[in-house]
This record gives sequence, structure tokens and C-alpha cells, in this order.
Amino acid sequence: MQSILLGVDRLNGLIGKIFAWCIVILMAAICYEVFCRYVLRDPTTWAYDVSLMLYGALFMMAGAYTLSRNGHVRADFLYRKWQPRTQAKTDLVLYFLFYFPGILALIYSGWGYFHLSYMLNEHSSFSPDGPVIWPFKALIPIVGVMMLLQGMVEVVRCWICIRDGDWPQRLHDVEELEKVILDEAAAKAAEEEARLNAIERESTTRGSL
Amino acid sequence: MFLSDPALGILMLVVFLFLLMLGFPIAFTLMALGVAFGYLSIGDGIFQLFVQRTYSVMANDVLISIPLFLFMGYVIERANILDRLFRSIQLAAGWIPGSLAVATLITCALFATATGIVGAVVTLMGLLAFPAMLRAGYDTKISAGVVCAGGCLGILIPPSVMLILYGATAGVSVVKLYAAAFFPGIALAGMYMAYVIIRAMINPSLAPKLPASERNVPVLTIIWALATSFFPLVLLIVSVLGCIILGLATPSEAAAIGAAGAILLALAYRTFSIEKLKDSVFLTARASAMVCWLFVGSAVFSAVFALLGGQRVVEEFIMGLDIGPIGFLILTQVIIFVLGWPLEWTEIIVIFLPIFLPLLDHFGIDPIFFGVLVALNLQTSFLSPPVAMAPFYLKGVAPKHVTIEEIFSGVMPFIFIVIFAMVLLYTFPNFALWLPNYLYGG
Amino acid sequence: HAQAPIKLKFQSTWPNKDIFHEFAGDYVKRVNAMTGGRVELEILPAGSVVPAFQMLDAVSSGILDGGHGVAAYWYGKSKAFSLFGTAPAFGWDADELLGWVRFGGGQQLYDDLVQNTLKLNVVGMLTGPMPSQPLGWFKKEITSADDMKGMKYRTVGLGADLFKEFGAAVTIVPGGEIVPAIDRGLLDGAEFNNPSSDLILGFPDVAKVYMLGSYHQALECFEILFNKTKFDSLPADVQEILKGASDATSSTMMWKAQDRYSKDLAAIKARGVKVLPTPKAVLEAQLNAWDVVIANLSADPVFKKVVDSQKEWAKRIVGFRLEYEPDSKFAYDHFFKPA
Ligand code: NA
Ligand code: NA
Repeated sequence: MQSILLGVDRLNGLIGKIFAWCIVILMAAICYEVFCRYVLRDPTTWAYDVSLMLYGALFMMAGAYTLSRNGHVRADFLYRKWQPRTQAKTDLVLYFLFYFPGILALIYSGWGYFHLSYMLNEHSSFSPDGPVIWPFKALIPIVGVMMLLQGMVEVVRCWICIRDGDWPQRLHDVEELEKVILDEAAAKAAEEEARLNAIERESTTRGSL
Repeated sequence: MFLSDPALGILMLVVFLFLLMLGFPIAFTLMALGVAFGYLSIGDGIFQLFVQRTYSVMANDVLISIPLFLFMGYVIERANILDRLFRSIQLAAGWIPGSLAVATLITCALFATATGIVGAVVTLMGLLAFPAMLRAGYDTKISAGVVCAGGCLGILIPPSVMLILYGATAGVSVVKLYAAAFFPGIALAGMYMAYVIIRAMINPSLAPKLPASERNVPVLTIIWALATSFFPLVLLIVSVLGCIILGLATPSEAAAIGAAGAILLALAYRTFSIEKLKDSVFLTARASAMVCWLFVGSAVFSAVFALLGGQRVVEEFIMGLDIGPIGFLILTQVIIFVLGWPLEWTEIIVIFLPIFLPLLDHFGIDPIFFGVLVALNLQTSFLSPPVAMAPFYLKGVAPKHVTIEEIFSGVMPFIFIVIFAMVLLYTFPNFALWLPNYLYGG
Repeated sequence: HAQAPIKLKFQSTWPNKDIFHEFAGDYVKRVNAMTGGRVELEILPAGSVVPAFQMLDAVSSGILDGGHGVAAYWYGKSKAFSLFGTAPAFGWDADELLGWVRFGGGQQLYDDLVQNTLKLNVVGMLTGPMPSQPLGWFKKEITSADDMKGMKYRTVGLGADLFKEFGAAVTIVPGGEIVPAIDRGLLDGAEFNNPSSDLILGFPDVAKVYMLGSYHQALECFEILFNKTKFDSLPADVQEILKGASDATSSTMMWKAQDRYSKDLAAIKARGVKVLPTPKAVLEAQLNAWDVVIANLSADPVFKKVVDSQKEWAKRIVGFRLEYEPDSKFAYDHFFKPA
């Protein structure tokens, strides 16, 4: 069970991280366009379409990866105060009520949308020699399937949490700086406390002698 | 049935507000409610609408600059330049009353502007400047307020991701928004500093002078310190912003150049590594996915809300209040202020603003001006309890004896300064509108 | 007894304030009045349900029951689509294009493209002839085709292919997004359509040179679309009214445009905009570019079939007009030329 769970996490993480590099290509492509446009006075015809596709692919393909790291924004002013078990129970119900229907709709409608575009061999309508657009549209149902799998993993996580009373460990990954700093500070505080407790214990032991 | 049931639309909004509080990822809550209520209204057509709305976010050329600015921010954040920056500004500001607090505010404003990442600035400055102020005998509350309020400025002073999101939501020019937010952003930072300086002058014990050894630094040392930390970052920000505001490049072009510039800067400081690049790339992907998926959810939700006629009900209700433009402005700003207690700025801009925006035209309010007011207002959403990102982050890194109550009461005067700034801006709208009008005509 | 009205949701591809949205509204009002309340067509501006460029998909899939736009917007689906909106400048005008649609075999070719080639579930009515469109709005005067080389320029339809031959970097965006795109620096030059739209969309705020009379879109007409399943389910008389109202508002639109376009061009001049004709050298380059574009795109047999049919019609009809009509400029100058 655990291995399937982590396998899906890894797969989505890997796909998300591969597509994350789109940002570097996007940066380079636009810098190149800037050079052509302002220095050579000869803008490219492809930069607009290509940058849209890189940006779209970047955030779509990172959707499941972000979910696997619990990175989608929640209004958690109540949620964060709950016991993990309460959190997990609520999440579990809401995954079935909200998440899966929405994602299934995304796969279903995304497939039709892509299929029509594929049948027409549709090209981008943003430029005269626009690239084919159906591979870009194909991302929608593909991402839907990735999200579906990741949602199942999250459901299992909820179930484990309800069983064990605490959230299972997520895969280690790079974290926002504030989280790293806050975790370090918390760890240091805990250490300090342990040290003080030890000193106190020692002194009380000594005092009793 | 088309528009047959505006009540269904209002019901959808109420259900959403309730479900929001359960803490499920908002993007998916919005998607599911949009699809469900849309299905009740237009049947199978909702699936097409859903996918078309999703695609329109994928093909939104305004949002391209968001991952680029985020990337630029992560690279700068990881370049370890905050220390040098703070120390150099501290040296240069030594002669000013409350110099450490002023230096903190300047550092925050500058660094936050370049990175646009609030949490990182507050925690980093909480580790660096906050203990320095306490050691120098500064009042705990003032020190806390300065770090929290200063750390949030970056999201207001352009180039700011918040303004891009507002521009994409309201359909107004990001360039004009940047031009309009520029002076008010700088002015708010100035008012924070003026407040600190005045408090320090009235009661020097709140912010004691630094020892003379730290105040009398040779000018050349100061210039060298500034030249190697302050000016490169200012140059990067000014060139990115200048290109956008002067119309030399589009926001996404400037953002791409800015990101490349940030990498060069990090290379120059010898703090760049493949490891840090990877970290920045992955964090950019996750942060972009978070923002853009929220946009997808909201695009579906608001399309269905409009389709059901919910939007029309809200509009008719507000117009029926017979409140005039001033009343409307006050009402909306109060609502946004209150929403800022439990929520963060992303949700407010992407989900709640679209409900008010169509009414701006009716009341004759300039959406650019409204955007700057909203951006100012949302400064408070980081600071106000119960969900106050900045104070909680500071609490997380502060020495143990500093309580969250102390931090909150230190932040309070800064919230009042923001409100005061909003009143001022409302009274003198040209303070915001002068620059865009001058640059781009009426 | 009173029956519940048939409600149809209808979205234009135009911003709320654009005169084109008003034209779409005129059609809707006409239908609602002619059906005596049996049909309620409700009009929404671009973006209310879907963005402008997604209107066709939305109508075909039934999210919208109908819409008002131009065929050139469906350029990504097939370049032949543009021929039914903004065709090559064979010397004909948009009224003569609509003549071809009705009496030159155009409608059959259109239906064949939409329903058989592209398999779209829509019925379309071509309507509303427009006058020649300006070359557009620029920061500096355009004196030769070379001035547009390397320029980020907005147009639509086959005009995009035409200016590609000029060496321009053409970016295609819907009407409501042009001025914001110029604002953002995404475009150096742009055309939309006519003085009334251009004025209200804010072009005079972002550019000070307005070049009139171009061959890139010497003629264009509107397109009213309905979902075919929905349309076929309507009573025969309602179907007939939907078509008849399209013909009726076609003329109303043309007459209203005469009044408003002329007034708004004067208003644009009053804003200090430099209004200039497109120079002969540019027009000549455009005609040569049309040759290349037609030759290239005729590799597609569907495109070739349509454009050949158009050429045949234009040759006869324009030939007739030129032989038949006296010179209007001659008479105009006699009465109105300032001494
Ligand atoms: Na708050
Ligand atoms: Na045009």
C-alpha cells in the first residue's frame, strides 16, 4: 500500500519537476525575443505562442505535484487548529464530495475538447503560422488523470491519519524559506527546552542528595 | 434553464462561503461547486464550459509574468544578500533617530519588492533585524511592528504579483496599475518610517541611539557597503520596473529579464549553485500551480455565477442600496478589510473582487484607482488577526519571551497608518493617477 | 393560453461598449419583437460566458445557444473560414460578398465547410456588410511596406497572412484586448475595424497616427451563429424569423454605420489624431502580397474551391458595377468640394 502511495507521489513529483524546468526555458525564450525585438528590430513569430504553452504546461503539470506536497491554498483558519484526525475526516469526505467529481469532469470534458481539436488538426489562432494547438489541449485530460491518481493517494493518507491519529510523512522536498526557518526555530526551541529540563533534573537530583 | 434561477446563484455563493471554512483546497471547492450548480442549470453544457474556462487560464497572456516574477523572487531570496543589504543600510542610516528601525523598513521594502515573497522576508528579518533591535534596547512592540509591516510592503510596491493578479481579474492594464501603485507604495513605506522616527524623537528610550562607534563610520566604508549590496538590487528593481512603466517592454518580458538579472546577481555574489537553481525552479512550479489553479477554479465558479444570474442579483441589490460612489467605495473597502481577517489576499482578489468589479462602471470609479485602494487595504490582511501571516511568522522565529500579543499590539499602529493612507488616497486620488495619466494620457 | 417563452442565450464577441455589441443587440431586439414574446434572446458581451475566440466552440457544444461575431475569428480551425468574413481584395465590397453568399453559391460552400469539413454543430448566417477597414493605429506614419517590417502588429483572418508577407510579427487578439495589449507593449501597431469602435475602445489614447483605407480587410461581414440542434428544434416560423431578422438588421447596421462612423471619424480628428490615407505604395504591396497568400493557401483544396468561386463572382459583379455606375467622386466634388 505504502509503496503504491509513494510511487504515485514520486511519479507526479517527477512529472511536475520535469515540467517545472519550463520556467527556465520560458525565461530564455522571452529573453531571446527581447533581444530580437529591441536589438535586431526583428521579433520572432513564435515567441507569443511558445511562451503561452510553456506557462500553461508549467502550472498545469505541477498541479498534482503541488497537491502531493499539500501546496494548494486552503482557508485554514479553523482547519489548522483541529486534531489531525478531524482534519483527515473532513478532508476524506470532501475529497469524495468535491475533488473527484470536479476532476472526473475535467477528464471527461478535457478529452472531448482535445479530441475535437485533434480531428481538426487545430492550429493556434494567435499568429498566422501558429503551431498546432492540440498537444497543448491534450494536457487537460492528462493532468486530469494525474490529479485523479494523486487524489486517491490523498484519500489513503486521510485514511492512515484516521487510523493512526497523525498524518503520515510526506516525501521530503524543497520547502519555502519561511517554513525551513520556522521549523529550525521550533527545533532549536525544543532542544533548548530539553536542555533546560535536563539541567533542572540534574539540579533537583543533586539537591536531593 | 438559462438565468431562470438567480436564487441558485446566490445559494451557490452561500454554500461556498460555508464550505470555504472547512479548509479544503479552495481551487477544488470552487471547481466542484461551479460544475455542480452549472449542471443543475445548463446540464451537460457545463462540461464544455468548464474545460473552456480552464483553457482560457492556460492561454492567459497576462498571467505569464507570474511564474517569471516568482522565479526572480526565489533566486534573489536564495542569493543570501539580505545580510549585506541590512548592514549597509544600517551603516548609512546611523545618524537618523530610530536608525535600526528605519534601516529595517528600507531593507524590508527593497528586498520584499525584489522578491515579492512576504513570508521569507518576515522570517529572515525576524532572525536578523529583530534581535539586533532588541539588543540595541529598542521597544519590543515597535520592533515587531516594523518587521511585520515592512515585510508586507513588497506585495504592494511594484513589480508585484498581487497587482498582476488584480489586472488579470479586473481586465485592466498591469502597466497602468504599476504606475499608479508606485507612489502610494513608496509613500506608505515613507509614512512607516516617519512614524518610527517621530516616536523615537518623542521618546528616545523606545529606540535608543546606537553607540558612537557604530554611528561614526567612514563615508567610504558606507559607500562601498552600499555599492556592493544596495545599488545592485536597486538597479535590478528599477530597470525591471522602468522598462514596464515606460512601456519599453511588456511585464512578462521585464520579468524574464529580471529573472535572468537575478541569476547574474546571485552569480556575482558567488552564492549561486545548481542546487539553489533547482530549489527555485521547483518552488516556482508549486507556487505558480497554487495561484493558477485557484484562477481556474474561480474562472469556472464566476462563469457559472454569472450564468445563473447571481451576479445580477448582487448588482441590483447594491444599486438598490442607493449609496452613491462614496458609499460604494466605503462598503467594498470595509468588506475587503473584514475578509482580510480570515483570508489571504489571493482568495480575496481572485474570488471576491470579481463580484464588485462590474459595478465600478456604474458608480463611475476608475478600476485602476480602485485597484490601488484594494492593494493598500490588503496590506492589512497580512497583519490582522486571527489569520495574520506576518505576526505568526515573526512569533515563530522571535526569542521566546516575545508574546504574540506584544507583536499584535506592535502591528496595530501600522494597520492604522494603512487606513490613514487609504483615506488620504481617497481624498487625493491624483496621487495614484497622476503618473499613469502623465505617461499614458487620460 | 400563454406559453413559456423559448429562452436563448446569445453572446457576442465584442466588449459591452463597442458599437458592434450594439449591432448584435439590434438583432436580438428585432428577434424578440418579431416573435411577439415567444422567443427571448438574451444578449451578453464577450467574456460573460466564454472569451471571444471561444464563442464558436461554445455555440457548437451548446453552452451558448447562439452568438454574434465574425468568421475571421475561427482562423485557427481553418483558414478557409476567413474567406466568409474578410475575403481578398478583388475590388469588391462587403455587400457584393453577401451577394455571392446568396446568389453565387457562397452559402452552400459555407455550410459544407462548417458542417461537413469541420463537423461543427452550428448554423451560420452571414450579415452586416462593413466598409473597408483602416490600416490602423501607429506611433509613426507608415510610408512603405518596409515600415511594417519587424513590427508587432494586430489584425485578424487572412490579413494576418498578408502582413506576414510584409515581414510583420502578427499577433491575433480579440477586439476588446487590443488596446490593453498596446498598453502592455505587446503591440507596436494595430487595427480593429472602424472609427466608432476604435474611438470607444481607446485607440486615440495609445497611438496618434490613424491610417485609413487598406486592402488587408477591404471587405468584411458579420456572422450570426446558432447551435444547430437547438435551431432545428425551433418551430419553422421562429427559424424563419431568426434568418429574416438577420437580413433586416443587415441593412439597419449598414445605415447606422454611415451615420456613426462619419461622426466618430470627426471626433477622432478632434482628439488631435493625425488621420492619413494609406499610401499607394503600401496598397500595391498589399495586392502583390494577396497574390502570394492566395497561391500558398490554395494548396488546401477547400480553400481553393471557395476562393475560385469568389473570384468568378467578383470578376463579373465588380466588372458590371464599374461599367454601369458613374464616378461618385466626380459628382461629390461638383457639389461639396471647398473652393
Ligand atoms: Na488576516
Ligand atoms: Na480589422
